[in-house]
Amino acid sequence: MKDNLNFLKDKARQVRGKVLEMTAAAGKGHLGGAFSCTEILVALYYGGILRLDASRPRWEGRDRFLLSKGHACEALYVILADLGFFPGGELENYNKPGCLLGGHPNRSIAGIEADTGSLGHGLGIGAGLALAAKMDQKDFKTVVLLSDGECCEGSVWEAAMFAAKHKLNNLIGIVDKNGLCVTDIIEDCVALDPLDKKWIACGWEVVEMDGHSFDDLLTAFERVPSDRPRMIIADTVKGKGVSFMEGNIAWHHGVPKGELLQQARKELEII
Amino acid sequence: MTSSDKDLRDAFFDELYAIARQDPRVILLTADMGAHSLGRFKKDLSRQYINVCVAEQNMISVAAGLALGGKKVFVYTIIPFATMRCFEQIKVDVCCMRLPVTVVGIGTGLTYGGDGPTHHGIQDIAVMRSLPEMTILNPCDAVITQAAARLAYEQQGPVYVRLERGRFPLIYGAGSADFSRGLHQIREGEDITLIATGNMVHRAVEAADILRKKFLSVRVVDVYRIKPLNTALLIKMMEGTKGVVTLEENCLTGGLGSAVSEVLCDSCKGIALKRLAIPDEHCFASGDREALQQLYQLDVSNIVHSIVRWFPQRAEHVFMEGKEDGFRH
Repeated sequence: MKDNLNFLKDKARQVRGKVLEMTAAAGKGHLGGAFSCTEILVALYYGGILRLDASRPRWEGRDRFLLSKGHACEALYVILADLGFFPGGELENYNKPGCLLGGHPNRSIAGIEADTGSLGHGLGIGAGLALAAKMDQKDFKTVVLLSDGECCEGSVWEAAMFAAKHKLNNLIGIVDKNGLCVTDIIEDCVALDPLDKKWIACGWEVVEMDGHSFDDLLTAFERVPSDRPRMIIADTVKGKGVSFMEGNIAWHHGVPKGELLQQARKELEII
Repeated sequence: MTSSDKDLRDAFFDELYAIARQDPRVILLTADMGAHSLGRFKKDLSRQYINVCVAEQNMISVAAGLALGGKKVFVYTIIPFATMRCFEQIKVDVCCMRLPVTVVGIGTGLTYGGDGPTHHGIQDIAVMRSLPEMTILNPCDAVITQAAARLAYEQQGPVYVRLERGRFPLIYGAGSADFSRGLHQIREGEDITLIATGNMVHRAVEAADILRKKFLSVRVVDVYRIKPLNTALLIKMMEGTKGVVTLEENCLTGGLGSAVSEVLCDSCKGIALKRLAIPDEHCFASGDREALQQLYQLDVSNIVHSIVRWFPQRAEHVFMEGKEDGFRH
């Protein structure tokens, strides 16, 4: 287990490093949100949670992962490339003219299940997928990663009530709760908390934990399903891993240059 | 019951019921909207029928998810809620991913009369026409409405059906028309091509019959598929006449008239065009559908008058006739 945790931690460091380089090369990206969900994605893809086969990206029996917070796609791209869904060289072309990998994910990319980027859509799509699986007695699960700012979208709660009514216990939601939206602190804008109670009131099983702890994440993912959909509220830090980015709204889509870029590289141990 | 006695909602949903009985992949989602024939669907095919309640955005996203899971999905509610409340979900979740989801909107144009702008379906053609992947069907009678259900089912990508409420005379004989072409000439004529869609096709036929008596020969074309528009066939039908009139119970901006004007403009045909539609405004007036149609001069008498006033070539004959009939000039 300890070796596995070290492996996962190192993967997370590598993913952040690649994301930093992609963003620096492209001159654009969403570092803050990609860094806050890095452990979540690494736990899902390398922790044995998602049943996938990179050689058969549309294999019917695969688990479905939807990145509803599509702006964090750079972290997902790095992982999908590493797992062989598409050549790693594509990462170097990120956000460049004619590239495969744009600023938000779409289904033309192997391993991407849905076009996302507009917040508030992924959970409803995930509910539909989970319902289709139930209708056809298929055993794949659907996992949807949302941002906490996204939970301000009314459509999220429409989907929440729908999933509970249909007892979609094959649906797992994750809120990357980093507390920040693009220009502000979420709690300064709306009363999002107590977020756990809101999901419980909507009929979901809720687990709240440290979103940067692989122990906590794997435990939450591996829980035996109840008869309800499960929401994992992952407490995270926006910009996690780079000291000057952590909890700083400037790094939602800021791009470090010069000395700051070098400092970020050092902190992520990629130089 | 003959088809002409059938409410167009029932024509559509009875056919969808028959399709869904044969294909369990067909799922119908409704945002708390009913129709007479849906009772049978709900009772007999309960595993294929879901009321998502008053949650149109989620209805579209769930439909997209079901489609990603291999289902062929129909969603149903009143036009403004089916198209505008959840427009972005239709754009991103359905159209960008080219999924087999059919949006069925009830309450075309001013169907809901005095219920006001919240319930009028007069901007939906414009907004849905802006989606590149969308097929838009607007059938006018029970035969083609029934066919529309199957056309939508057989379509690989997104479809929007503007569904009429109520009973209408038959324009098409069963099995007589090829509905793959997107439009159909239903009256011969040489002076003017009158292009209509949905319930206004009936008004167009009535108007054409009156105008013929006034020495104006009007060709009537039913555009039952607004998008993709069969431009080649439409141009062919417009050619040879001296003017084109479009008729729709929809706003001027972005509707059928706009689509036809784009075709005329792009093809450099130089045929004069008159658009009869609801002006660029929200309708707060009270009254039933017929009263509001009259307010916007979409009743037969006003349609005839508008065409007569606009079409100068036969003016002398028509003015004479018109005066006898009490037309205002």
